[in-house]
Amino acid sequence: MKPDGKVVLLGDMNVGKTSLLHRYMERRFQGTVSTVGGAFFLKQWGPHHISLWDTAGREQFHGLGSMYCRGAAAVILTYDVTNLQSIVELEDRFLALTDTANADCIFAVVGNKVDLTDSCALLPEAEDERPSEKPASGCVPTKVKRQVHADDAIALYKKILKYRMLDEKDVPAAEKMCFETSAKTGYMVDHLFETVFDMVVPTILEQKAEGPSQIVDLNNCKTAKNTQRSCCR
Amino acid sequence: MEAEDPGLPPKGGMDLPQDGVDLPEQKISPGSMDTGEDEPSVALDEQVELPGAQNNGPLSVAGGKGDVQEELTETREESSEKDLSDSASTDNTLEDSSEFSRPMVMDGGPPGEEEVAVQPRPPTHRDEDVTAESWRAHRKHIFVLSEAGKPIYSRYGNEEALSSTMGVMMALVSFIQSGDNSIRSIYSDDRKLVFVQQGPLVLVSVSSTLQSEQQLRQELLYVYYQIISMLTQASITRIFERKKNYDLRRLLTGSEKILDRLLNLVESDPCFLLGAVRCLPLQPALRDSLGSLLQKAITPNLVFSILVARSQLVTTVQEKTVIDDCRLEPTDLHLLLNLIGATSAFQTGEIWTPICLPRFNPDCYFYAYISYLDADCTVCLILLSTDKESFYSVSDCKKRIEEGMRTQSYLQALSSGLKSPSYSVAMVGAPDLRHFMYKPLDIPDNYRQLPQFTSPELEGPYCSESERHRLFDLYHYLHSRIHSTARPLRLIYHVAEKETLLAWVTSKFELYTCFSPLVTKAGAINVLTKLLRWIKKEEDRLFIRYPPKYSTTPNPGKGSKGPRTEGAENGFFGGL
Ligand SMILES: Nc1nc2c(ncn2[C@@H]2O[C@H](COP(=O)(O)OP(=O)(O)OP(=O)(O)O)[C@@H](O)[C@H]2O)c(=O)[nH]1
Ligand SMILES: [Mg+2]
Repeated sequence: MKPDGKVVLLGDMNVGKTSLLHRYMERRFQGTVSTVGGAFFLKQWGPHHISLWDTAGREQFHGLGSMYCRGAAAVILTYDVTNLQSIVELEDRFLALTDTANADCIFAVVGNKVDLTDSCALLPEAEDERPSEKPASGCVPTKVKRQVHADDAIALYKKILKYRMLDEKDVPAAEKMCFETSAKTGYMVDHLFETVFDMVVPTILEQKAEGPSQIVDLNNCKTAKNTQRSCCR
Repeated sequence: MEAEDPGLPPKGGMDLPQDGVDLPEQKISPGSMDTGEDEPSVALDEQVELPGAQNNGPLSVAGGKGDVQEELTETREESSEKDLSDSASTDNTLEDSSEFSRPMVMDGGPPGEEEVAVQPRPPTHRDEDVTAESWRAHRKHIFVLSEAGKPIYSRYGNEEALSSTMGVMMALVSFIQSGDNSIRSIYSDDRKLVFVQQGPLVLVSVSSTLQSEQQLRQELLYVYYQIISMLTQASITRIFERKKNYDLRRLLTGSEKILDRLLNLVESDPCFLLGAVRCLPLQPALRDSLGSLLQKAITPNLVFSILVARSQLVTTVQEKTVIDDCRLEPTDLHLLLNLIGATSAFQTGEIWTPICLPRFNPDCYFYAYISYLDADCTVCLILLSTDKESFYSVSDCKKRIEEGMRTQSYLQALSSGLKSPSYSVAMVGAPDLRHFMYKPLDIPDNYRQLPQFTSPELEGPYCSESERHRLFDLYHYLHSRIHSTARPLRLIYHVAEKETLLAWVTSKFELYTCFSPLVTKAGAINVLTKLLRWIKKEEDRLFIRYPPKYSTTPNPGKGSKGPRTEGAENGFFGGL
C-alpha cells in the first residue's frame, strides 16, 4: 500500500530534523543519533495516510536525497537558527534535491533550536499561548547568538519559488511558510506539521480524484484549524 | 581472515599421545561426542610448559611425548599478567618470523631484528607526543588515516589534535614502503603497534592488551570493513584517486559513534573473536515458524531477511539465486547489527538506507529496510534488497510478517524469552564453571549456515568492566594460542591469577571455558563432560540447527538485469 501523500524533511546534519519529528510523533524530546539514510513514518491525517520521511543530513547520504523526494507533496527545509551555514546549505545543497518532488510541491522553511536564542520559547508547548511574539528586549539574555533571522528565511523561500519557477501568487505566502521551532520545548512544532499536512490534503484529494473510481469523503477531511495562525513576523 | 576461519589447525605434530588419559566423557556420554579418530585425548601428564619461566624460549616443547600441547601457568600474584603478555608476544614473534615481514623495533635496533623487545626501556618514541598521560594510558588506541597522512578517525581524542602523531605514522608507513616493503607491526615493552593498509586507508592499532598481532590486525580489518559498509570500497578508491588529500571525515562525520561502538563491542562481545553469530536461545518449533514466515514474505529483489532480538540472531532467510554463489558472512552481519545498534536505537520509524556488506561485495550497496517490531525496540527485522526503489514493497513484506507474528502470538513468545538475560551458566549445573564460549563446527548444512556460537551471561566476578576486559584478554590469549599459525594447539589448560581456563578445539567444536581458580584438572575435565552433555541436550534451542529453506522471490534478482548494469550504485550484482 502506498500512502496518499508524502512529506520530506531535508536539511543539514544536526539541525534537528529527527528531533522535530520525534517531538511531533512521540510528544517528547530525547537524545537522537545522526540518521542513516532515511526513516519513514506514517501519519494518519483525517482519512488520509501521510508518509513522513526523515532524511539524513550527512554528506555521505547526499546522493539519496532525490530518491526520498520523489513524488513529494511537501518538503520541509530545516536549518538551525544558531548556525548560519545550515541555511546556506539549504540553498546550495538541498534545494536541487527537490527536483524530483511534485510540480505543485509545497515548501516550508523551518528554523529550529529557537530555544537556544529565544527565552520565550523555553516555555514548554509555548505555542498554545503565544503563537507569535518576538522575544521582548526584557527577555532573559540569549545563550547563543542567533545567526539566522526570519528575514533570511523569507528570502530563502522566495529563492525557492524562483528556482521552482513558481509565481508568488499561486503559492502560500512566505510569511505563512516560514517557521521557527524548538524541538526541545515543542515550540511551534505541532503548528508546523499541522499546517503542512492541511496544505497537502488538497493535493491528496486531487490525486485520489484522478485515480480510478476513488470516492473521496470530503466530510471526513480534517479542517484547517490552525492555518490562520501566523508564525513569522 | 584467519580468526574467522573455523578450520582446524593443521594436523602436523598433533599425534595423540599413546599413554594419554582419555577424557572421561568419551566413556560416559558417547552420544555427546564424536569418538572418531581425530578426536584428541588429553594427556593429563605432568609435561607442562611454563611460559613464565625465564629461559623457556618460545619454542619450548612439552616434553618428548607431549604432542598435545598443554600449558600450565602457576598461580602467581603480580607477575602473572606480565608473564602472560610476554609469552603472548613471544608467540607472535614466532608467527612473524615465519610468515610476516619482520617486526620493527623502535628504539634504534637494526630494522628487521627478529627479537621482540621485551626488556623495559623508556618509550622514547612517545616522548614527542604532547598529549596527556591519561590519553596514553588507554588500553587500545585505534587510528585511521589516509595515505596522504590526513587523520580520519581516532578512538580517543580529537583527530585534528593528533594530526602530527598521524603524520608520523604515515611517515613510517611510507618510509618502509619506499624500500618496497610494508610495515606490519611494532613491538614495545608494553604496547603492540599494528599497521594495516587497505587501499588508500591506513589503520593503526596501539594496544597494551594481550591480543596477538593477528587478532589486532583482525580488529583493524573490522574497522576498515565498517567504514566500507558505509561508503563502499569502490567509492573510497574513486574519491582518493580524484583527490589524494581528500578529507574523508566529510563523509564520516556522524559515523564516529558507529566506529566507537564497534571497538567497544570487539572488546566485549566474543562474536568478533570467534567469527560467529550469537543465536537467541529459542524453542526450535518457534524458530522454524518464524523462519517460514520470513520465507513467505518476499518481494522481487529481496535477498536477505534477518530477524534479530537484542542483537542475537533469531533466524535468517536467504534468496535462492544469491546463495548459489555466496552465503551471508558473520562479519557482515556483525557490522550490520553494529550499525543498526549505533544509529537506530529506539527508532520508531522504518529505516531505508543503503548499506554495503563488505565481505559479500565491498563495492556495492544493498538497500536495508530496518524496523523494530515491538515497542521496546528489542525485536528487529532487517530486509535487504538490491532495488533502491522497492521501499514500499519491502515495507509491505514487513506488514505481512508482523501480521503473521500477531495472529500466532509469536511476538509474545519471543519477548517472553527476552525478559531474562540470555541464560545463566548455572543452568549447566557445574558450580566451578564460571563462563564458556562454545562454537559448534558440526552444524547440519554447515555450508549454507552462518557460523554460530553460544555463551552464557557474564556473571559473578565478571560484572565490572575491568574484570570483563581481563577475562576477554585471557580468552584472546587462549584463542591466539589455539590459532597460532606457527604452532597451533588443540588444548590449553591455563592457570591464571584469578581463574583457570581451558580451551579445546576438535573437529566438532571450539570451546573456551573459565573455571574458579580452585578447580583441579580432574575437576575441570568432569565439568567439561557435564557441559558438553548439557550443550548436546540444549543444542536445538541454542543454535539454528536446520536453517529455513531458501526463499525464491517471484522475480528473482538473477533475472533482473537492471541492478547488474546500474553498477555500484545499486546492489551487489554490479560487482559480481
Ligand atoms: N537546544 C535544542 N537542541 C536541539 C533541538 N533540536 C535538536 N536538537 C539537538 O541537536 C542535535 C541534532 O538533532 P537531530 O534531530 O539528530 O538532527 P538531524 O537534523 O536529524 O541530524 P541528521 O540526522 O544527522 O541529519 C541533537 O543533539 C539534538 O538534541 C532544539 O530544538 N533545541
Ligand atoms: Mg536525523
